[in-house]
Amino acid sequence: MAEVILKNLTKRWGEFVAVDGQSLEISDREFLVLLGPSGCGKTTTMRMIAGLEEPTEGEVWIGDRMVNDDLPKDRDVAMVFQNYGLYPHMTTFENIAYPLRVRGIPSSDIEPRVRRAAEQVELTRFLDRRPKALSGGQRQRVALARAIVRTPKVFLMDEPLSNLDAKLRVTMRAELKHLSRELKVTTVYVTHDQIEAMTLADRVAVMKDGVIQQLGSPDEIYNDPANLFVAGFIGSPAMNLITGAIQGGQFVTTGGTQLVPVGGDDRNEVVLGVRADDIRVSEAGKGNIDVPIYAFENTGEATLLTVQWGRQRVIAKGDRYLRKEQDDMIGIALNPEHLYLFDPTSGSRIRT
Amino acid sequence: MRDSTLKYLLVLPAIVVVFATAIWPLIESLRLSFTVGRLSRPGSLEQYLGFENYIWAFLYEPAFWNSVWVTAIYTVLTVGLTTVLSLGLALLLAPGGRFRSGVQTLLILPFAMSPALIGVSFRFMFNPEFGLFDAVFGALIPPLADVSWLVDPVLAFAVCVMADVWGWIPFLTLVLIGGLASVPQDTIEAAQVDGASGWRVFRDVTLPQLAPVLAVVVILKSIFSLKTFDQIFMLTNGGPGTATQTLSHYIYFNGMKYGQIGYAASVAWLMVIPMIFLTYAYAKFVFRKE
Amino acid sequence: MLGRRRKQVIDAVQLALILIAILIMLVPIAWIFMAAFKNHIDVFQLKLFFTPTLENFGTVFEPPFFLGHKLMNSTIVAFVTVVLAIPIATMAAYSFSRFRLTGETAMLVVILATQFVPAVVIILPFFVMFRDIGLLDTRIGLILVNLAIVMPFAIWMIKGFIDGIPLDTEEAAMVDGSSRLQVIRNIVLPMAAPGLLTAGIFCFIIAWNEFLFALILTNKDAVTLPIGLALFKAEEGDLWNLLSAAGIIIMLPMFVLALIIRKYFVQGMTMGAVR
Repeated sequence: MAEVILKNLTKRWGEFVAVDGQSLEISDREFLVLLGPSGCGKTTTMRMIAGLEEPTEGEVWIGDRMVNDDLPKDRDVAMVFQNYGLYPHMTTFENIAYPLRVRGIPSSDIEPRVRRAAEQVELTRFLDRRPKALSGGQRQRVALARAIVRTPKVFLMDEPLSNLDAKLRVTMRAELKHLSRELKVTTVYVTHDQIEAMTLADRVAVMKDGVIQQLGSPDEIYNDPANLFVAGFIGSPAMNLITGAIQGGQFVTTGGTQLVPVGGDDRNEVVLGVRADDIRVSEAGKGNIDVPIYAFENTGEATLLTVQWGRQRVIAKGDRYLRKEQDDMIGIALNPEHLYLFDPTSGSRIRT
Repeated sequence: MRDSTLKYLLVLPAIVVVFATAIWPLIESLRLSFTVGRLSRPGSLEQYLGFENYIWAFLYEPAFWNSVWVTAIYTVLTVGLTTVLSLGLALLLAPGGRFRSGVQTLLILPFAMSPALIGVSFRFMFNPEFGLFDAVFGALIPPLADVSWLVDPVLAFAVCVMADVWGWIPFLTLVLIGGLASVPQDTIEAAQVDGASGWRVFRDVTLPQLAPVLAVVVILKSIFSLKTFDQIFMLTNGGPGTATQTLSHYIYFNGMKYGQIGYAASVAWLMVIPMIFLTYAYAKFVFRKE
Repeated sequence: MLGRRRKQVIDAVQLALILIAILIMLVPIAWIFMAAFKNHIDVFQLKLFFTPTLENFGTVFEPPFFLGHKLMNSTIVAFVTVVLAIPIATMAAYSFSRFRLTGETAMLVVILATQFVPAVVIILPFFVMFRDIGLLDTRIGLILVNLAIVMPFAIWMIKGFIDGIPLDTEEAAMVDGSSRLQVIRNIVLPMAAPGLLTAGIFCFIIAWNEFLFALILTNKDAVTLPIGLALFKAEEGDLWNLLSAAGIIIMLPMFVLALIIRKYFVQGMTMGAVR
């Protein structure tokens, strides 16, 4: 049990900067998710915590100890790898027992601990099998059991669910959440999947180009994005980003349509962010503006309406029973409570 | 122990072995090539005469030039024949299936045979009285019915080439089957759907994608053809006369039979030079993927 | 579209060509096999049918041929060469595969290049040196020079196998608490074991078939099988029945070994240029 502190952590390979002067405090028992697109430095950050990568600059602290010079084996962390990293020549039992055995724990202690870990991930029936004879989900569980068989200071999970098929991923996600709340061990979890981040995390760190863009609870990053990148990255469908200007407290699109009151000073260039579910769909003439439908999609649980708004396209979420055809005219209205303004050049949020 | 130390300790023994068994003799050969270097006269291995051995080979040794030509023609013929025939056989066998896979497995056998043994068997097969190939050729091509293969300079050379080609086709076929398997099937299917005939598919889609593997085959075979010794030694021992005397054989003869180690070393080094170019080309292919 | 008829013709032609290829490939080997079971009269005739005899396989081990002694030399030389080469090559291959070393590419190219140096170039200085220190016609001498041809193959081949072991697995073991040497012992070696065996067999075949070094360095005590072939000459010419029997003793074990590792033959011989 320990907190993890990164101080000014940097990793460079030649000219390429993978992680750029990152500082982060992860408190004891916290479940922190590093979220970002591939190549954003999230995995590198985690590997530096594990000791698999040496930082170019900066410090990694686990508990009250600076671990920069410690080998992975001396850091007392457990890690679940994207491809699981199971030992193919060992059975499930031997795989789970390995971290204990290599630490010289007596065999009499190993047996019950392996059994308990296997029970926690429902693997008891497969203890004699080799990884090759296990399904993807079972392999995932072995990797998990190998991590929880001892109580490390920190759990590190590198995209542990990304190799599972969609259905299994949802099940494993719930199991992972249950397990993590039960074990209460500091966890760093790397993913590019925002649903995983939203559902699992106490706090999410959204990363891009080696820099944390926003650090906050899932609520905060979804409902209060710090900048354009976070706004565009979080949410599915992605937040609509409409370019325009502010004139007399009103948002005016590039096409000249006066649309919605936003307040604030006049600005020539501004980006208005609005989520699809914050756009109300109505019959033509009944919204802020009438627009033609570019594409109508029915996902079953809702409908998605992509509308052609001047030169821009905007996605609105409609009622589950709404039925429209392409090129139909509809009215849309933006919910003024949930609008976000951004500076298009710097990308930063404009708060009014 | 830290990885930064360990990683060098791990390669050290291998580097020592490679240095002692390959680099040192290479350098020592270069030194010997500048000496009088007679095995029978102990002091002569330190008696330097500059480039005289090299000049001697170039200006006064028709036998040297003979072996250069023999090696060159031998290399061109064996490389050309093995490459073309292997490609043909690879195309025949590549589709797979139980029968073709079985044949592929059999292909390993000739390559596990030592070249010396291949030389012996071909001498056996071309015996004018009871050689099987001699009989078959005689039956198929009447003018060849009464020839003594290994006595005629041109025919003896042809037998050497045949033995080499026979020994190498199986292995190079396996290499090319591997190469063909790595050509993405969907590109071939796309060309078929686009309306290309079998031959056009091969020429426009398969062959260009096979080019790197073909290059590897040609370079590798060139290197081994240039070095040829074992087979020739057992088959014709360079004869009749010097009709099949390759450079390796010429070096062996001068160094070991006549004891002219210095002179042999100079010719050996002349042989190293084309090898450096071929190795460089080969290394480019090996490192291309990393 | 191809007519069904035309397709059948093409299939038949292909089949015929494949059969001809097999015939050309196997006939010399088969002929040697037959000759080995012929008596000294039948072997000098183009006979397909004869009364087989095992006599030749006895004669080759008797005076004056003593093939058993050569068989022993070949086995010891090839075996010891492999036993020395594989551990050394494995250590180096692991390092090359997993770490970045200064001058790594240069080292790998040099190792690759030594494979292509003509054997005649290497053997001249060794002959002089061995003559001076008394290693001529010894198995030790032969083993040392055999390392020159075997090491590059072994390093490159094993490196290929280790490259194929997922890094994840090793890193998992490190996070689980292993030191680097424990990782190598507990994870890498068991996982690479089939590869090491393959490389070992491959090198054994190369050392077993080696000819030029043995020709130059040995003349009596350390003579190996391929050189022993030259023994079967009498005043009236080659003793083909005995030559064939000896040939089978040389090639049969190699056939078996080659079939065991057939999947890796191409990769090994081309040093990874073709996978």
